[in-house]
Amino acid sequence: MPEIFDASKKKDKEDLVEVKKLKDSGRYRSHWGSLVVTPKIKFESQNNGETIIVLGRRHFVTNLGWMALICFAIFIPFFWEEFPLIAGVNDNVHFSLIILWYLALTFFGLMNFLLWFYNVYIVTDERLVDVDFFGILYKNINVTQIRKVEDVNYSQRGILSSFFNFGDVVIQTASEQRSDEVFGKDGEASPFTFEAVSNPNEVVRIISELMEQEEKEEYEGRIK
Amino acid sequence: MEIFPGINIDISLSLIVGVMVKMCMLLLLLLSVIMIRQEVLMDRVVNLPMGNSLKTMVWVFFAMTLILTLIVVIA
Repeated sequence: MPEIFDASKKKDKEDLVEVKKLKDSGRYRSHWGSLVVTPKIKFESQNNGETIIVLGRRHFVTNLGWMALICFAIFIPFFWEEFPLIAGVNDNVHFSLIILWYLALTFFGLMNFLLWFYNVYIVTDERLVDVDFFGILYKNINVTQIRKVEDVNYSQRGILSSFFNFGDVVIQTASEQRSDEVFGKDGEASPFTFEAVSNPNEVVRIISELMEQEEKEEYEGRIK
Repeated sequence: MEIFPGINIDISLSLIVGVMVKMCMLLLLLLSVIMIRQEVLMDRVVNLPMGNSLKTMVWVFFAMTLILTLIVVIA
């Protein structure tokens, strides 16, 4: 007898058309990158059998601000003896000041790097996870089911985002929606805003495809 | 300047700046400890393959800060 429908045969979501395209391009494999396709990692609330499809973080270019600041600050001790307050201290204190300055700079750089590295968004075959760390003492993790996603869109603002192809992906869920006029306290249009995402169009396409597939599965499950 | 009876201290610019630098170094040491803890928590939330290297990097920074703080505070 021909097989008409078998709900147990769940389509492997790693084989989505958009994911395949990105995988075949071979550019999105490095874990240091802004967009990693099907990474072999684990996250805190991962369910058994849940597959990570995309891991992303802010585009590397967004780090240029603090990097430029550090590059500038490195040279400040060469000139600060011109200031009477610093010129007036003895050699020991001056040496301590220099040590403190470079240690503080290293701390600033390390902290910014860690915040960039661990502020990630994760798209799995079932859920969307947005991990936000603000400073070193506060974290915010948003999780939603893909079937609860109602709308996905992205925006690119500014020269840098157009040039390097990054932008904000805004995901509206059934639980909470904010209009463009009424932004949240965090300044985001939705709790699920993936900020400065690399290749936002690809991310939106992947999420849309997952939404379609989820709808299809629900529908097939219902008519069985 | 006599701060306590019988104890004379010359308060100079170097002394004030020196004390402030020492306090800042201790504060930085405390922040580096917090950074280690936060890195561990971040690594627990998202377990990335290079998490251990980052952990080592943060520990090295802490060790460096500790040694330099001891040198500055004791000197």
